[in-house]
Amino acid sequence: MTDRRRINGPPGGTRPAVYASLLQSATGAADRAQRQRQPTDLRKIFLKTGLIPSASGSSYLEFEPSASLAAARANPKSLIPPSSALKLACTVHGPKPLPRSATFSPNLVLTTHVKYAPFAARRRKGHIRDASERDLGVHLETALRGAIIAERWPKSGLDITLTIIEAEDDRWWGDAPDSHDASWGMMNVLAGCITAASAALADAHIDCLDLVSGGVAALVSEDMTGSSGPPRLVLDTDPAEHRSIVSACVVAYMPARDEITELWLKGDSSKAALEDDDKRPGHEALIDGAVDAARGAHTVLGQAVRESIARTVGSA
Amino acid sequence: MASATANAPPSLSLPPSQFARLQPHAYLLAHLSPPPASNQPSIRANGRAPSQFRVTSANAGSLTHTNGSAVVRIGDTAAVCGVRAEILHTDDIASWSVSESSTAASTAKHQHLADLSDHPTKENKDVDQDSDAADDEDRAHVQGLNLLVPNLSLSTGCAPGFTPGAPPSALAQSLSHQILSLLHSTRLVRADDLRIWYQPPNLGPEDIEPHNEDEQMDVDADQSGSAENRQPREIKAFWVLYIDVMIISLAGNPFDAAWASVLAALRDTKLPKAWWDVDNEMVLCSDDLTQAYGLSLRGLPVASSFCVFEADAAAGWRAVVIPDAGEQKKGSQSRWILADPDGYEEGLGQERACVVVDKDNDGKGKTVIVKMEKHGGWTVDSADLRQLVDISAKRWDDMKRILDQC
Repeated sequence: MTDRRRINGPPGGTRPAVYASLLQSATGAADRAQRQRQPTDLRKIFLKTGLIPSASGSSYLEFEPSASLAAARANPKSLIPPSSALKLACTVHGPKPLPRSATFSPNLVLTTHVKYAPFAARRRKGHIRDASERDLGVHLETALRGAIIAERWPKSGLDITLTIIEAEDDRWWGDAPDSHDASWGMMNVLAGCITAASAALADAHIDCLDLVSGGVAALVSEDMTGSSGPPRLVLDTDPAEHRSIVSACVVAYMPARDEITELWLKGDSSKAALEDDDKRPGHEALIDGAVDAARGAHTVLGQAVRESIARTVGSA
Repeated sequence: MASATANAPPSLSLPPSQFARLQPHAYLLAHLSPPPASNQPSIRANGRAPSQFRVTSANAGSLTHTNGSAVVRIGDTAAVCGVRAEILHTDDIASWSVSESSTAASTAKHQHLADLSDHPTKENKDVDQDSDAADDEDRAHVQGLNLLVPNLSLSTGCAPGFTPGAPPSALAQSLSHQILSLLHSTRLVRADDLRIWYQPPNLGPEDIEPHNEDEQMDVDADQSGSAENRQPREIKAFWVLYIDVMIISLAGNPFDAAWASVLAALRDTKLPKAWWDVDNEMVLCSDDLTQAYGLSLRGLPVASSFCVFEADAAAGWRAVVIPDAGEQKKGSQSRWILADPDGYEEGLGQERACVVVDKDNDGKGKTVIVKMEKHGGWTVDSADLRQLVDISAKRWDDMKRILDQC
């Protein structure tokens, strides 16, 4: 079915480019991306608010490129990028009156839209939101709803729109799909969405209980033999840098209340190689790790909001 | 604004920002025609002179998963453009055998052209500009096969009016289409850059000869057909460029920003070396960056948009409907042509003009008008248009500098 409201490509469809080097050896000739950070080191986050003046609140978030990507950028050899770094823009419109046709609501009605740009991922995305984008939208909505004081705006609506300009990979590009595969990149995207949306909400002066920030932790088994060794806990994973991710968790966390508004855990977290005196079960360690990552993101978020306030105070 | 608020009694005075919202027309008019006593220059509410463009910045090649990408900011309007190349096999083109036969005649000449330089550079620009047949074929391929697919999205929360998730608004559709038609009318992208050729190996007599001496006669007969030349090359596939523009922030004049981002992204685009692999029956690409080639674009068309602000929009009508209403005071200027209107000014004028110009010989040659569009009113006459072209030519120099730097 063609979309008459957009410009469509050739009716026969097109195919993505296939690289010869990938065909010759399944693992690829290139060196695979390796994590250079310590397991508890987080990537730097660039977060800026107020870039979109027509919105009541806006923010732009960018993750620091991982070591392999930074090296590839500095000294480009191959057309295939080793990994990618999250880039997204968030806008908040409102609070605004609900349309006449809407039923009465004593609270603020929150709508969240997450959309990937067609060029955001390794595979071209369609123009219409697919299931994974809707899923992200729902997760984000639950994460923010726990933080917003919705009773302050009866009969009003708030639109939060996120545009993913560059997403993260689900695995290293050279790896064949296997049983451990899941959309791990999506979890990083969600964590970024939560942090960016929180900054935009503060920029729009929406009352919240606390700044809610997102964090990701994962259990990864790094060795060549696959899942023989128990997986290690790693914070802020870039899926392209790990051979297989066994389990991952993303949380939306409010440090002031020590409260988690959104928890999303995927995979098998029963086996985890922790410290000897650490008796926590795997999933608890994973959640604690994600909370630690969220605390890290919170410091960046706090700074960005401080800048946003300084700007509004300065201009008024 | 000082004059406007000063005239009002102090008890009813409003801060300028509120006055701007309540009486936008009067607010802008007060800026553009200050009272002669105040000795203030005529200036727009945003502090620009009427023919001044907003500060423009461009940055190319920052997105990982694209063949070429660019971010262009014109004032508060920001556009992100990403170009993704995908492969269209000729097997997937329903009408290919027909169109192939029609172009077969020019293939020989084309091959000659392509042989001159496999990666066309600026030198052979003149060569194929001369040949009309190559031009027609260019058009037939790029336009007929939809090799360029620009789409513009406004549903990114860029402005309050556009609901995200909704189908593209009328504005988004019209902008996408304007970009497409401008890409086609300027013939910016050469079809030659998008073709993937296959040279069948010469499996002719030389290889067969040792094995079957007896069939020498037959072979000779065959040889006479393809003797003087190697087998003709054939097109096996095309690159299709998906050009997606996301307007991240909209504060007026989306077309200039979108077109500038498309232009910058296409200049940044690198296509991998691709060939037809007979064994796999598919097109393979090399990921080696040294073998990749950039597009050789035809010229550098730069768009400049204008908006007309009228002091009294009904003046023209009044003269017709009420003939003896009396002439307005002649001395004062009654309309202004504002370059690069922002969102506030766009809401106050119906009449728009858009001029796309290019300059020959890297800016040293004469100015060429690529596209001229004017709608929504009748106050801009031919003398004004001539002036707009001059302004656009100046803008071309600025944009060229900005795009060369990014």
